[in-house]
Amino acid sequence: MRLELRDITKQFPGVLANDRISISADRGKVLGMLGENGAGKTTLMNILSGLYKPDSGQIFIDGEERTFDDPVAAIRAGVGMVHQHFMLVPVFDVVEAVALGAETVTGFLGTFDRAAARKRIVELSEQYKLEVDPDAKIENLPVGVRQRVEILKALYRHSDILVLDEPSAVLTPYETEELFAIIRSLAAGGTTVIFITHKLNEVLEVADDIVVLRRGRVAGTADPKSATRQQLANLMVGRDVELIVPKGPAKPGDVVLHVENLQVRDDRLEMAVKGVDLEVRAGEIVVIAGVQGNGQTELVEAITGLRPIDSGQITIGGHHTEKSSPRHVSDLGVAHIPEDRGRDGLIDYMTVAENYILDSYHKAPYSRNGIFDLKAVRERAAQGVKDFDIRTPSIDTYAGSLSGGNQQKVVVAREFSVPVQLVLAAQPTRGLDVGSIEYIHRRLIEQRDGGAAILLVSTELDEVLAVGDRIAVMFDGKIVGILAGEDATYENLGLLMGGASFGGGLAA
Amino acid sequence: MTATAATAQISGGGLAARRALRAARVRGVAFAMLGLLAIYFASANFDVPAKFSLWIHEQGGDSAVLETKVGLLWIVAAIASAVVAGLQLLRGAGLRWRRWLLVLIAPWIVALLADLLAGKPAILTNVLAGSFEQATPIAMAAMAGILSERSGMFNIALEGKMLIGAFTASMTSSLVYIATGNVLLATLVGIAAAMAATGLTGLLLAWLGIRHKMNQIIAGTVINIGAVGITNFIFLRLLQHNTQYNAPPSVQPFKLPFLSDLPVLGPILFSAKPYVYVGYIMVIVLTYMIYRTRWGLRLRASGEKPAAAGTVGINVIAIRYRALILAGLISGLAGSYLSLAAGGSFQMEMTAGKGFIGLAAMIFGGWHPVGAFFASLVFGFADTTQSLLSILGVGVAPQLLASVPYVVTIVVVAGVVGRVRGPASAGLPYEQG
Ligand SMILES: Nc1ncnc2c1ncn2[C@@H]1O[C@H](COP(=O)(O)OP(=O)(O)OP(=O)(O)O)[C@@H](O)[C@H]1O
Ligand SMILES: [Mg+2]
Repeated sequence: MRLELRDITKQFPGVLANDRISISADRGKVLGMLGENGAGKTTLMNILSGLYKPDSGQIFIDGEERTFDDPVAAIRAGVGMVHQHFMLVPVFDVVEAVALGAETVTGFLGTFDRAAARKRIVELSEQYKLEVDPDAKIENLPVGVRQRVEILKALYRHSDILVLDEPSAVLTPYETEELFAIIRSLAAGGTTVIFITHKLNEVLEVADDIVVLRRGRVAGTADPKSATRQQLANLMVGRDVELIVPKGPAKPGDVVLHVENLQVRDDRLEMAVKGVDLEVRAGEIVVIAGVQGNGQTELVEAITGLRPIDSGQITIGGHHTEKSSPRHVSDLGVAHIPEDRGRDGLIDYMTVAENYILDSYHKAPYSRNGIFDLKAVRERAAQGVKDFDIRTPSIDTYAGSLSGGNQQKVVVAREFSVPVQLVLAAQPTRGLDVGSIEYIHRRLIEQRDGGAAILLVSTELDEVLAVGDRIAVMFDGKIVGILAGEDATYENLGLLMGGASFGGGLAA
Repeated sequence: MTATAATAQISGGGLAARRALRAARVRGVAFAMLGLLAIYFASANFDVPAKFSLWIHEQGGDSAVLETKVGLLWIVAAIASAVVAGLQLLRGAGLRWRRWLLVLIAPWIVALLADLLAGKPAILTNVLAGSFEQATPIAMAAMAGILSERSGMFNIALEGKMLIGAFTASMTSSLVYIATGNVLLATLVGIAAAMAATGLTGLLLAWLGIRHKMNQIIAGTVINIGAVGITNFIFLRLLQHNTQYNAPPSVQPFKLPFLSDLPVLGPILFSAKPYVYVGYIMVIVLTYMIYRTRWGLRLRASGEKPAAAGTVGINVIAIRYRALILAGLISGLAGSYLSLAAGGSFQMEMTAGKGFIGLAAMIFGGWHPVGAFFASLVFGFADTTQSLLSILGVGVAPQLLASVPYVVTIVVVAGVVGRVRGPASAGLPYEQG
């Protein structure tokens, strides 16, 4: 056995992150690892890569016990890790980012031998078909390429145990296919790959073995040749999960959100939304489908008032909001589940309770005459934690220390804690496990049935098809087609997302 | 839109673009008004001679004299202003106006200087050489700041460390001189003692900021206040009445062989006090070290994204400790310049903000040693001209003149710099796994 972890245990304050976990993987095999948010996957891999020390347990490489006191020791033993959040210095170029920490030097000053590093990177990228421009700056690279740089970083250190922690969460479907090709060719060359993901079809496609973690323990293993998605989902969550939440037909009412000929620019001042017309009615879920980066982000930010618009009209419940502040829009009864919850949804260094009142702290019952009523804050927050089943040690825990799924639940709980007429949900399930996805979908459908208008942005076709009453496909800043939910299929959506125009795409 | 072709392309009616265009127009009009102002000055005393002289070989030897009329210099400034105004109005928001503003400043300064001197001849060599001298402690402070911030630590304490350095150098050097009578030994021991004291202060800052995760601005402020308190106390209690303990032998200029013989440049660049040469070397070495060596790569990584460095096994904490100690050593050297080379003795609060101006130079220079050096020169120039003008007694209150370097600092940092980007993680504590 190339790699074996035996009875690894790791306790964090208040959480037993790893509880006697044992896994093993052979040379040239791909081990798929599944598990809920907070199941302890990243913790286990951080132990393997020498970033954390286990409280107890053993690591065997080729049958020999090893202890990793720091990342260098793990790297020497052949372990390379691509972290869930990329570990690349944005202002470095590819050569510098890859060589960092494993530089070859010349002369008595320790001059970095850039030419040698560059040569080796070019060789590796040719050998493993990892196409990158070695002189490009990291911050100018798309995420898919950054990921290749991370893999190169591991290969540069002669790693033959490669850990990929949720590598596909941020990739487009095409980039994911490319990644799988790379994984297969690495495995064929003898590398052991540990592939962590929340996406069930991905493990079924690429893994040789599957291990599922739940609440810090191994919940079970599965054989990708015979396992089904439903079995894996149930194993992950420990109960029967509905991969597609059942919903009745929509009963559309009055128009709540009306967008006409909207034009919006991105951060570089280039036009990102190029004349969008859109209507969302009370009691329906409209999904904006499309590959990331086709103007969805800017569209939602414009509707929420976070981004100034160039031209066009936006009305919410009959009020013009083109020039409204985010607070004004929010006061109209608009819930916003932002795309980047770390940036726009939560404040990491505030407690769960504080985050829970982030958009209404200035109003009764939370404050009177500018003074907080802490008792009311705590009571309501505790109620929210209970209602929405947020797994947190307490309401005084920092939001940043919760797992991804529970952070998202805090956002959803806050946004749905007051009556809303419009919900703007931008990729609300990204990076979440099937249990949390089911939960979020349920809440969205519940809001719809309660009479709210829902606008959901999603890049996942499964999600689009599961919850959309109407589906608008966005490509290059325009809506290229609107389908009724029941008419949509993988095929016609895929064509539209790739830019085929409505009539042409369907006729072809 | 009725904008010109170039602006129409990027404006297109957007809110942000419209704002940018409006700001561009305002700037264009402002530049045009500067041009009109220059024409007014030109007409005011057109015929007053403007005389600048440069020593060719050495002080007091042959000199080259550039002579013209104040009015002509103002006209050059007016033309430059008009050109920049025109570019701004034509190109709108697309113009990189901050660069052009820098271009504009040069003729304005020359004209203003000539005007204020009102016919009195100015020895340009002295002004320029003085600028390099004055720039030296500022540039050294800036190098210390660059080292710290590149590693991810704010170093507001430079000011206090320079003060400690100035004090320690003066006292130690005086004592050693009393004991041995050896000038070189006294100076070197004085400098070494200063660097040791400030190196330790750097260690203290690192310990507070890294070990105890104390807010780095507050830790630095504490050190600054402490430095003023301690040095003032000892000065008042001891040095004021025992002046022999505060009378170090002063560092004399040293002509570099061959280089100082270069015509015109020799007297400006290579006939200075040794500190200036150390400054040149420091800029070159540091630039090489930061951008070409493994040490520099790791230093920059820990200031930009320490987690990325930590995950490949780099000891970020150790890098930050070392950087702050090294920065401390450099600021001690900078401080010793003030009492050993510039002032001749220690005076209370003699740094007078030079540490902070060094930080301004660091920002203005984009956290790059070469950039920071040139930025320091700007401040050195402002300092030298203000003292020249107040010595010559031009018709401006000396207090007002003395404020010029600080005003320049504010204008530079607030206005000209705009959006330069420093190390992304500077000032943030690092948690090692
Ligand atoms: N540095 C830490 N300090 C305290 N608790 C931590 C730390 N890192 C993780 N935890 C906790 O340990 C548990 C396991 O976290 P881990 O990040 O390993 O989960 P995960 O399976 O990777 O989840 P996800 O799918 O959301 O990435 C969580 O409850 C988390 O809050
Ligand atoms: Mg994880």
